[in-house]
Amino acid sequence: MLRYIISVLIILSCSDIALGAVGCDLNEPDRDVARLFPGSTGFKTMYISIDRKGGNQLLARIEERLGDKFQGLFETGDVPYTIYQVLKEGKKIGYIHGVNQKGQYGGIQVFLALDLDGVITGFYFQKLTSKYAQQLRAPEFGKQFSGMSLKDFYGYDIKSNKATGESRVGNIINPEPLAEQDFRAALRAVKKNLVLMDEFVLGNKYLTSLTRKGDSVK
Amino acid sequence: MIRIYQVAYKNLLRKKTRSGLTIIGIALAAWVLVSLLGFNAGYESSLNRDIDSLGYQMLVTAKGCPYEAATLMLKGGTGLKYMKKEIADEISKEPEVDGITSMLMHAVFDPNKGESGGITAYLGVDPATFPGMKSSLEFQQGEWFTDPEAPEVVMGYEAAELEQREAGDKFIIPGQDAEFDVVGILKRTGTQDDGTIFMPLNTVQNLFGFKDELTGIGVKINKDADITQFEEKMYKLPDVQVVSLSQVKQTIMTLVSTAKVMVFSIAVIAILISIVGVINTILMSVMERMQEIGILKSMGATAWDVFKLIWFETLILCFSGGVAGTILALGTSKFAEILIRSILPYAPSGGLIKIDISLVIASIAVVTFIGLISGIFPSWKAGRVKPLEAIRSQVE
Repeated sequence: MLRYIISVLIILSCSDIALGAVGCDLNEPDRDVARLFPGSTGFKTMYISIDRKGGNQLLARIEERLGDKFQGLFETGDVPYTIYQVLKEGKKIGYIHGVNQKGQYGGIQVFLALDLDGVITGFYFQKLTSKYAQQLRAPEFGKQFSGMSLKDFYGYDIKSNKATGESRVGNIINPEPLAEQDFRAALRAVKKNLVLMDEFVLGNKYLTSLTRKGDSVK
Repeated sequence: MIRIYQVAYKNLLRKKTRSGLTIIGIALAAWVLVSLLGFNAGYESSLNRDIDSLGYQMLVTAKGCPYEAATLMLKGGTGLKYMKKEIADEISKEPEVDGITSMLMHAVFDPNKGESGGITAYLGVDPATFPGMKSSLEFQQGEWFTDPEAPEVVMGYEAAELEQREAGDKFIIPGQDAEFDVVGILKRTGTQDDGTIFMPLNTVQNLFGFKDELTGIGVKINKDADITQFEEKMYKLPDVQVVSLSQVKQTIMTLVSTAKVMVFSIAVIAILISIVGVINTILMSVMERMQEIGILKSMGATAWDVFKLIWFETLILCFSGGVAGTILALGTSKFAEILIRSILPYAPSGGLIKIDISLVIASIAVVTFIGLISGIFPSWKAGRVKPLEAIRSQVE
């Protein structure tokens, strides 16, 4: 009986109360960072939320840049975003950042590996609840994002699912026509991820490139 | 006309450092006392709330690893052993039983969770009994299942957050073709329920091929029943094991009481030191003011007047120390809570230190009373001073 009780105590002591919104962390950072950035020797972790960084004003700007409103119970300003600064022998070589996205049948977690200019070098679905997860998680699908940046995604309209102008997003192929909803969710997650990274760590370098084109972002 | 307490106050101000240090000593003792009593009240009520939120006082599971039993009950793990539903029928017939709720936990490997897959667990609950037994659960959105066999899920807040689901959304289980309706999202509870995906018991049984099988039976016992006796009866059932929360609570309280005894000993020592400090301070003050007391008495002050004057000084010191200590306890209760959580083997959710107004008043009253007791001797000694001898001794 003592064993039962001790086990209950161990489990009770593990059940922390977490009252804040849940962010999107790598499940196994040591392994995942090394995989997404081969040759890296370490990483630092930063936690940023929209509420803390700039509140409602920042949220409004992010929504405008995204071209879509934050929706639902869980896409809120208090979500803590985890940004991994990837290091090679002490020198920063890039970033890894993930976001949660609502999919057709469940949650989607999209992680991007970015170089210091915010260009995608790696794409990773950490979690994908979808009937077509196998097709979407195939390496060929993720590779299509390599080399793209927020500049490409500015030309992609989330609501209409149309890519215009010089945007290369239109070239991304959905591997399974029946997975259209999750495919679009993945594109939205990538755009949101890139906008947040531009706001949080890249100093809004892509905001300038957008306003030069005469868009309405302020 | 100057009043006696004004004289006492001014006397204390004449030796500010000494009076200040005495107040600090009393305040520290009061701080320990208030924090300890607050912890005494807060810990037990939080533990009771945690246990009550489970809804049942006993969990009966199939014989197997005890860690599975505990995991099922509190964290939502996977039961590798199953028992027949007839056991539930048998238990429900016992006169001590107020109600039972049958459960079937099933875990599924999700290849699309992380780099190399992960496990997701689903808890099948009886829609007729589970909501009533877990009445503390509230909904953020939606409600419980519409039908005992409905293809529906209710999600704990964190499970819903991970799956980005809201009431009205569709949901799928890895390896299953069927789609499920999300009918409810529970409010955050700070317990294992937050991460649980609930489904109707029959749905889970049919879906995973465990018809008439269970992994757990939550048992709510009548308030008047002898739980220990009932536990003994349960042990006699074949191939089941019993985890009783009354035992869990008892064990936790035993572990905590050891820590309490240690802290209480420290509090008693602190109070004794502060009593000695008060006696020392007042006595020194009396000795230093022998001539002054002698003059007071030669001017017509009675022994009772002098006694009262010195007693008032003690009262002011102890009352100030008591108030300061209580404020300190209120201000540092969060920090003390963090410290306690890091020391204790198990700390329930919610506030561990509960300091309410009655505790504040009682603590100040106790500290003041102890101070007044310790002030009797110096005051009595001052009251007995003979005026002429006192004046002469100082002159010499």
